[in-house]
Amino acid sequence: MNTIIAADHVSKWYGQIIGLNDVTLTVPSGITGLLGPNGAGKSTFMKLITGQLKPSKGAISVFGEPIWQNPSLYFRIGFCPEQDAFYERMTGLEWVTALVRLNGMSERAAAEMARRALDLVDLAEAAGKKIGAYSKGMRQRVKMAQALAHDPELLILDEPLSGTDPIARRKTIRLIKELGRTGKSVIVSSHILHEIESMTSNILLIHQGRVLAEGDVHQIRDLIDEHPHTVYIKADQTRALARQFLAHDDVLSLKFEDQAVVVQTARPDAFYARLTDLAASGELGAIHEVTSPDDNLQAVFQYLVK
Amino acid sequence: MVSALRIFDLSLGQMLWSRRSLFLAVLVGGPVVLAVAIRAVVLLTPVEMPQIRGARVGGEALFGMMIWLLYIRFIVPVLGVFYGTSLIADEIDDKTITYLFTRPIRRGAILIGKYLAYLACTILLVLPSVVLVYFLIVPLGEGRIGGAFGSLLADLGMLAVGLAGYGAVFALVGARLKRPLVIGLVFAFGWEPAVLLFPGYPKRFTVAYYLQALVPHAMPQDSAVSLLMQVFRDVPSVPLSLASLASITVIALWLASRTVEKREYVLEQ
Amino acid sequence: MPIHDQGYRHYGGDRASHGRSWEVIAKTGIRTFVGKRAFIGLLLVAWFPFFVRAVQIYAAANLPRAAFLAPTPEMFRQFLEQQEIFLFFVTVYVGAGLVANDRRANALQIYLSKPLTRTEYVFGKLAILMTFLLLVTWVPAVVLLLVQIMFAGNFIFFRTNIHLFPAITLFSFIQVLTVSSAMLALSSLSRSSRWVGVLYAALTFFTQAIYGVLYEVTRDSRWSWISVPSDLSQVGDFIFRLPLRYRTPVPVSFLAIAAIVVVSGLILERRVRGVEVVA
Repeated sequence: MNTIIAADHVSKWYGQIIGLNDVTLTVPSGITGLLGPNGAGKSTFMKLITGQLKPSKGAISVFGEPIWQNPSLYFRIGFCPEQDAFYERMTGLEWVTALVRLNGMSERAAAEMARRALDLVDLAEAAGKKIGAYSKGMRQRVKMAQALAHDPELLILDEPLSGTDPIARRKTIRLIKELGRTGKSVIVSSHILHEIESMTSNILLIHQGRVLAEGDVHQIRDLIDEHPHTVYIKADQTRALARQFLAHDDVLSLKFEDQAVVVQTARPDAFYARLTDLAASGELGAIHEVTSPDDNLQAVFQYLVK
Repeated sequence: MVSALRIFDLSLGQMLWSRRSLFLAVLVGGPVVLAVAIRAVVLLTPVEMPQIRGARVGGEALFGMMIWLLYIRFIVPVLGVFYGTSLIADEIDDKTITYLFTRPIRRGAILIGKYLAYLACTILLVLPSVVLVYFLIVPLGEGRIGGAFGSLLADLGMLAVGLAGYGAVFALVGARLKRPLVIGLVFAFGWEPAVLLFPGYPKRFTVAYYLQALVPHAMPQDSAVSLLMQVFRDVPSVPLSLASLASITVIALWLASRTVEKREYVLEQ
Repeated sequence: MPIHDQGYRHYGGDRASHGRSWEVIAKTGIRTFVGKRAFIGLLLVAWFPFFVRAVQIYAAANLPRAAFLAPTPEMFRQFLEQQEIFLFFVTVYVGAGLVANDRRANALQIYLSKPLTRTEYVFGKLAILMTFLLLVTWVPAVVLLLVQIMFAGNFIFFRTNIHLFPAITLFSFIQVLTVSSAMLALSSLSRSSRWVGVLYAALTFFTQAIYGVLYEVTRDSRWSWISVPSDLSQVGDFIFRLPLRYRTPVPVSFLAIAAIVVVSGLILERRVRGVEVVA
């Protein structure tokens, strides 16, 4: 696998605030998910690899060249920023065409490429409407379109699923996977683990400006499974449920809360399977609510940082 | 340069058809409306042409006075301040600068392209207004349109040069400073009028000093400040003024481009 | 109870009565600007003419050769006139973004979803601008009067010109109210404080330029009502009992100023809303 992006002891600070702290990593070709909670440094990293910011220390290279003050690299890069900002009075087609033209294409070629990109993101019908009239999901998609239109080798997408409905989410994920299959490299940032999981198995975990982990997502998932998993169950017959749970050795502990039982289990998959059967049979009364305070990135980070 | 022209293309349409430019068109239309009113009053009523210091003035002198009071002292500096300081600042406030900075175009070319669009837009607004005022006012008091045509061309050239100069200076102000509008207004309506009152070298650090040397009309004595200005006025030659304005424009644009190239823009989340 | 409840507790303290929320907006706004070094610098520069005048008054009171510099009522009028340039810059610096920045951040919805009426919001914003404008007009003028009393060591000048203090107060308030309401109204028209600054510059300088042209053409200063600064100057001369500089009848100048305030109020009434009314 080729190295698309290399960061060598990169730090970035804004006055007294550290955005990234001594980060050294490489991003291979293919789809890479950049995961971290809000404020972790994902956007800072994105801005550094897109040349909008210069590292305070260290060096960043994209395709083997430094990206800062190197505009020629942008022929090969498409960036979809997080912020919701457009030239609102332009139509989607006009806007994407105008941006593609900045890549050196003629007016006709740029318009054709813009149309193709808008079609790819299902905005062909709305291409003639002003962006100011677009819904949130449409605005997100037109941003994707301007990143794709000039057929870049590397796509950098900052929270591309933010604000989209479930159907649009699925379509975007499918698109990103398709782009990966066609040989493009994609870096996608998000703070939601399962979104990234559905796109790629290769992830980078960032927290408080440091890289916590990088590699295969299943390895990360296994880390979660090794760590005891907490499950909150609200039910009619909590004591009966508790008796049932205690019969199995994967349940490490449990406690009662108001009309609920909170269980710690070492094997969450097996536990959920049993719980589903119990709920379906109804033999121990109705189960009203099942949540897991642990099934999120925060829990992973808490485990990784402790 | 090609990149700058592409940015020029993108920005010109935005500037020309924005609501702000429509308002500025109304502002620039103010002198035209005034000229229509003056023409109507002089033609329809038995009012004599005005006198200045006991002498009847013709339309040419009136036109010259309007050029001074409306265009040189207000419209040109204000357009320079407003558009010049906003070249990059507006894109940053709207957070659309990201799309431009992640294109294969040098950042300096983005500034130059926007500057060229500003120049085209303002010239397209201001010069027709001046021409209309010329045709409305100059014929009054037996003025001759043909006779004063040379000074009209000089006025048009002078105003274009003024727009270029002020725009470049305020593009630099906008690229470098955090509150460019206030600084720009202080420069245009505070520093320049103040420094022109006094003898010595400070006035050479203004655009107005060189621009006013290119005006083919006498400065009106509409206030004590104007009278004082005339006492201390030393007028550089036309070639020197043109060369100085060109230098100011080129140097300011170069510095502004360098600033934009090297500066990091951290957008508000 | 030995073990205290650590959960959420309702506020049990005093609440300010209704109609005082504007003070919160005013105090927060004032604190924000006072925290900016550049703005403090501007205010200090705006007080420079005060120090020059104070030195003048001191010299007149203590040096026989400088008696010709003795203060007169005209001096106070001139002082306020000299402060007009700082009035302009402070108005642009403070006022341009007062409502425009809230519109840009969609903060109006948040403000007006609190127990805060639109009137309180407008008064709060007006109070911010008026405070700083009075700080560069009324306050230094009154302090100058006090300085004169202090250096003279008697109240003779003050008693002889007993109208000065009310004149300074009245004119400063009229000037500041006109300028503040106009700027606030312009600020409510846009989301860009830069644009608002230009609009305000147009209102101030362009109307003056238009009057200048009309005066040159007609040689009649009755056109001065067109120019906002000229209206304020005319009113100022009247209040200070000085010869009027324009032939415009004083009531006309007053009416022009009143019209600005009224129109500003109408604009603010339309524009300061929690939601944009499209239809």
